[in-house]
Amino acid sequence: MNPILSFVIILIGIYGLAVSTNIIKSVFCVTIIEAGLILLFLNLGQYEGGLIPIMEALGIEIVDPIPQALMITTIVIGSTITSLALMISIKIFHITGSIEWKDFIKRK
Amino acid sequence: MFYAPVLFVFIPIIIAIAMFLIKSAKAHYLVFLSQLALIALFVLYVIHLSNDPSQNMIVFGGWDARFAISFYNDKLSLVFIGLTIFVWLVILLYTFKINYRQKKLFFFLMFLEGVFLGLIQTNDLFNLFVFLELTTVLVTILIVYRKGGEAFKAGLQYMLLNTVAAMFFLIGIILLYYVYGTINIRVIASEIALYSEYNIVKFAYVLMITGLCVKAALFPLFTWLPRAHGVAQASISALLSGLIVKAAIYIFLRVNFDMFANIYDMSEMFFWLGAVSALVGVFIAMSQKDLKQILAYHTVSQVGIIMMGLVATGPFATLFTSPGAFGGLLHAINHAVFKSLLFLAAGTIIRVYQTKKVYEIRGVFKTMPWTGIVLIVAMLSITGAPFFNGFISKSMIKYAFKQDLLKMIVFTVVNLGTMISFAKFSQILFGPKQNLVVERQTKQHLAMSLLAIASIAIGTAFYPIFKSLFALTWGGALYLDVMIYVEYFGYLALAYLIYFFIVKRDYLPFRLLRKSPISFLTANSLFVLSMIVIGLFVFL
Repeated sequence: MNPILSFVIILIGIYGLAVSTNIIKSVFCVTIIEAGLILLFLNLGQYEGGLIPIMEALGIEIVDPIPQALMITTIVIGSTITSLALMISIKIFHITGSIEWKDFIKRK
Repeated sequence: MFYAPVLFVFIPIIIAIAMFLIKSAKAHYLVFLSQLALIALFVLYVIHLSNDPSQNMIVFGGWDARFAISFYNDKLSLVFIGLTIFVWLVILLYTFKINYRQKKLFFFLMFLEGVFLGLIQTNDLFNLFVFLELTTVLVTILIVYRKGGEAFKAGLQYMLLNTVAAMFFLIGIILLYYVYGTINIRVIASEIALYSEYNIVKFAYVLMITGLCVKAALFPLFTWLPRAHGVAQASISALLSGLIVKAAIYIFLRVNFDMFANIYDMSEMFFWLGAVSALVGVFIAMSQKDLKQILAYHTVSQVGIIMMGLVATGPFATLFTSPGAFGGLLHAINHAVFKSLLFLAAGTIIRVYQTKKVYEIRGVFKTMPWTGIVLIVAMLSITGAPFFNGFISKSMIKYAFKQDLLKMIVFTVVNLGTMISFAKFSQILFGPKQNLVVERQTKQHLAMSLLAIASIAIGTAFYPIFKSLFALTWGGALYLDVMIYVEYFGYLALAYLIYFFIVKRDYLPFRLLRKSPISFLTANSLFVLSMIVIGLFVFL
């Protein structure tokens, strides 16, 4: 059930990207997609009763550590993307006075 | 152990940080030091690898290769490393005078070079994703560097579209990890046939390929590319078109050829994907009036041609032996050379004339003779004139499907369209001398001449070069055939006729093509749509 739920979250993000006319909303739709895929990967590596993979837990049943290591990196990358995108949105607001996509879909 | 692959990544990054920290006016010259070091290291590394081919993989941290991060170099990645260092040298030379006082630009450029070299060498799918995302972030910063309203808009669209594409690429990686238990490309490549019937592997393949289609600017997901080109400065456009798009081609080679081509035969679909984007790109390019937009849409069509070549010889084509796939690879390299040259020359012209309109610029050849000459070299290359590099790769690609009439027709139409739009582009050369201030810029001329020389060298001496490098047995007495000259000049004459009698009149279809941009929201819907279409092809 859980992987399907993650895919639903990802699809919600894609749907938001396809319909929202607001730049900030678009940026956060990308964040939603990212959250969905992080949940997906953590679910795939986890099982009932497994412990957190830290070194003291050697010898006990632990969950697969690779998904967690990779997803921490993904979170860092996602925060980079979000902060840069929000910074650019602020600049767009300062220059054009609006944060709507449709204002600059029109090209000269 | 010889740690050259790690140094390839870290030399540019360390030099970038050092340059940023040193408070001297001469600190910029460090970038050339870094380029020299990279070239020396590259030569040493190639010699080292040819002596001892078993040392092509470096595993970090002493872990089992199944789980550890590793770097892997073969012929393909060495070709791309050489190309990267060369194009970066040219671009640094070109942009040195213009951005002399701007340390930040050089910082990001050098940082991007390190990241890009890492992207080429990595053998770990997740690392590939990390480098891909870093490239996206750095390129976005370079696109918005001029800080105009349009620049921010185009940069944000570039970043969001490419991030979504990379996220879907990552979902594919996750599913592969779930099935195969590793993200090492070599291990997956050797074990790929084990689970090829699993639907989850097919689904992962669909997601990864759709993500790469955005990165490679294939139809219909190319909308970010012309916008980004329109606002970036000339050197960044050259970089974007010459290398960043090629990164997607490189990853396509790694993912599709190394891993999936052995289990799923998708070559027909990729061929028509490439053919459609080549056709669409060339027709929109014909209708454009902006100097840089013409070149940007030609990137779309040339990437289509590269794709057509890569998959032309069927699913099991080994890259360096069949003419079609090797032609595609060679066209990727050639396109990096001549398209960078075109963008740099166009940038120089735009700087002097202060306009981008193709109908307002006249008399380039008399005003700026050297720029005119290199521009002619680049245009001959991209239209596929004999003795220039575009001719070699296009003939190889044509050779791969010379039996198939429909494919030949598509290829000829694309070629003719390229000639027509460059007939339009070449109008800027003619006309009387203009009264404009032309600065002396030795470094820029040096940069453009390097690219022009590379273009002519590959075109004339390709047989000895590629025979010694890749043991290729194709070509030889190609230039003795009279037909190629007749064919080229015949098509050129036809292209000029079509330009003067049809395209120049600017009929309604061309105006419609020019004025129909696909918005950001539509581009996202198209992303899902193309994912569904590719999925249908893979699953049925």
